[in-house]
Amino acid sequence: MNKRVECAIPLNRVEGDLELRVAVEDGRIVDAWSAGTMFRGFERFMIDRGPLDGLVITPRICGICSITHLTAAVRALDQIAGQAPPPNATRLRNVALLVETIQSDLRQSLLMYLVDFANPTFADHPWHAEAVTRYQVLQGRRCVEAVRETKHLLEVIALIGGQWPHTSFMVPGGVVYAPPVVDFQKSLHLLKRFRHWYEQTVLGSSIARWQEITSTEALDHWLTERSEHLQGDVGFLLTAGRAMGLNRLGIGHQRFLSYGAMDIPEGSIVTGIAGQLVPAGFVQGLDGGQSFDPWQITEEVAYSWYADYPGGRHPMEGITNPVASGAEGRKYSWVKAPRYGGQVAETGPLAERVVAQDRLFLDLMRREQGASALTRQLARLTRTVHLIGALEQWLLELIREQKAPFYLPVEPLQNGSGMGLTQAARGALGHWVKIQDGRIAHYQIITPTAWNGSPRDGNGVRGAWEQAILDTPMSDPDDPVLAGMVVRSFDPCLVCSVHVVGGGRRRLAV
Amino acid sequence: MEPLILCIGNRYFSGDDTGPRVYDRLIAPPGPPSDVQVIDGGLAGLALLAMIEKRKCVVFVDRVEGFAPPGELVVLTGDEVAALAEGYGHNSGIPFLLAMLPKVSPPPWPECHLVGMAGDVDDQAIGLLAHYSIEVARHGIDLLR
Repeated sequence: MNKRVECAIPLNRVEGDLELRVAVEDGRIVDAWSAGTMFRGFERFMIDRGPLDGLVITPRICGICSITHLTAAVRALDQIAGQAPPPNATRLRNVALLVETIQSDLRQSLLMYLVDFANPTFADHPWHAEAVTRYQVLQGRRCVEAVRETKHLLEVIALIGGQWPHTSFMVPGGVVYAPPVVDFQKSLHLLKRFRHWYEQTVLGSSIARWQEITSTEALDHWLTERSEHLQGDVGFLLTAGRAMGLNRLGIGHQRFLSYGAMDIPEGSIVTGIAGQLVPAGFVQGLDGGQSFDPWQITEEVAYSWYADYPGGRHPMEGITNPVASGAEGRKYSWVKAPRYGGQVAETGPLAERVVAQDRLFLDLMRREQGASALTRQLARLTRTVHLIGALEQWLLELIREQKAPFYLPVEPLQNGSGMGLTQAARGALGHWVKIQDGRIAHYQIITPTAWNGSPRDGNGVRGAWEQAILDTPMSDPDDPVLAGMVVRSFDPCLVCSVHVVGGGRRRLAV
Repeated sequence: MEPLILCIGNRYFSGDDTGPRVYDRLIAPPGPPSDVQVIDGGLAGLALLAMIEKRKCVVFVDRVEGFAPPGELVVLTGDEVAALAEGYGHNSGIPFLLAMLPKVSPPPWPECHLVGMAGDVDDQAIGLLAHYSIEVARHGIDLLR
C-alpha cells in the first residue's frame, strides 16, 4: 500500500508570505496547494485617493519591483490622459525597467538559485565543492561579485530617477525631468563595466556568440567549445543542473503568457516585435501562439479568501472583498487565481522566450517534454543577452536627443479608465485603474506571482507551480531542496513588505 | 559627509511602518538638525548599499523583534546586526546589507548602528526613537549601553 503524507515544506528564500503544502507518496510529490498567507489590500486603500497617488504608493508594494509597479501605474494613467509619452520619456522609462530587471535576474540566479547547488544534499556530486566555493551563502565568490556588480548597475536608476530609493519619476505625459547628458554618459560607463562582468563571469562567452546558439546540439557544442564556457555560471547551471535531473523536473501546464514590455520609441533603431522589445502573446504548447488580448484576463476566487462570485471577472470589473471565514477546508490562499481565456498560464523569462519563438528554448523544451526547472532558470540567467543591447542603444539615443522633449503636458485626470501592462522580472504585471470625478474609483493589480503561484480555479485546475512541482522527488520533508528549486525556478515573490530585524530565526519556514 | 539616519520599513504595512513614521517625525517642522541627514529607505534593502558607502556614520531605524519587550528601546551595533544575516531573499534586510558591505564596498566603512523597538509603537515611542536616532548619529551608542 502506498504511503501518503501531507506536509508543509519549508522554502526559505521564497518570499516571506508563501506556504506550500504538498502530498507525498512513495517519495514523490503527488499534489500541492500554494497559499499566500497575507492580505495586502492595496486595491482597497487606493480607492478615493488622488489619481496620481498610485505613482507613489504602488512602487512600495515591492522593494525589488519598485520600478515595474511604477511603470504599470503610469501606463494606466497614460491611457486615461490620452497622451502617449514622447520618445525620450519612453527611452528613459525603458532604461529604468531594464536595469531593474537585469539586476533582479542576476541576484535571483546567483544568490537565491545557484546557492542550492551548495546544499550538503549534493555533496556526493563532483561539482559540489566548486558550488560551495562559488555560491555558498554570504561567502561564495560569485555571490559577492553579484552583489557588487548589480550595486553599480542600480546606480543608473539613481542617476536618471531623480530620487533614490522609491523614485516616482514617471508621470502621465512622460517623466518629471530631463537628466543631463553627463548622467547618460555615466550610465553607459556603468553598463560597460556590467557587460564585461556578465560576459566574462556569468555567460563565460561573448553575448554575440551566445546569440548564435539556436538548438540543443549547438548548446552542447558551445558548452565544450572553450573551457570558459563551462566555467561561467551558465555553464555551471547547465552541467550541474542536468546532473541532478533539473531538466526533467518542474514541467508545468505548458501555457505561457507575456503582456509585452518596453515600447520601441519612435525614431529608435532598436528592433522588437509588434512595437515592443519584449513581445506580448499567449502560447499553448510550443508551436505558434495567439496575439495577446488583455480582455481575456480574468481572476477567480473559488479557492481564495474572497467573497465568492461566479466564474472569473476581468480586473477592470474585479472585486476584492476579503472574507477570512466560512469556507475553511476549501479556500486556502489570499492570492486570487488569474486565468487567460479561462486557462492557467505561467509567466516569466521563459514565457517571454516562448512567446518570442526563441529557437533554442523551444528546442530545449521539445527535448525535455516541456518547460523544466532548468530551462526556466536558464531563461532567467540569459535574459540579459536579449536586453542589454537595447539598454545601451537607448542611452546613446538619449545623449543624441537630449534636447528633445521628455514631457508633454496633460490635462488633470478627471474621468476615465486605463490598464497598465508590462513585464516585471518575474513576469506579467498589470494595474487596472478607473478615475471618477478626479478620484480613484477602482484599482486592481495582478502580479506575476499571482499568475505563477495561483491557487486552484473554479474548475479545480491547479496553479502553475502547484502543477509544476508534481512528481518531484521528496524523501526528506525537512530538506526538500529539489522541491524548492522547482518553485524557485519561477522566482516567487509574494510580498516584499516586511524587513523587520529579528533576533531569532523568524519565519524560517514559509 | 554628515551622519545619515536611514529609516527602514513599509509605510503601507501596519507593523512594518516604524521606520517611516520616525522619518515623518524627523522631517516634520522645524525639520531635522542641520548636522544629520535623514532619508526614508523604504523597502530598498540591498539597494541601499550605494547610499551608505563613503559615510562616516549611518543609523538605521527599524522595527525589531526578539531583543527586548515591546516598548523598550533597542540599540545594536552594525556588527551585531550583520551577525544575524542568513541567506539572501527578496525580503532581505539590514543584516544582509551590513554583512555584505565590507565584501563589496571599498574601505573605510561607516560606523553603523540600529535604533529600534519591538511591537506596535505609539506616537510617544516614535518620538523617543526619533530623539535617540539623532543622539546616536551625533555621539555613538556608548552612552546608551
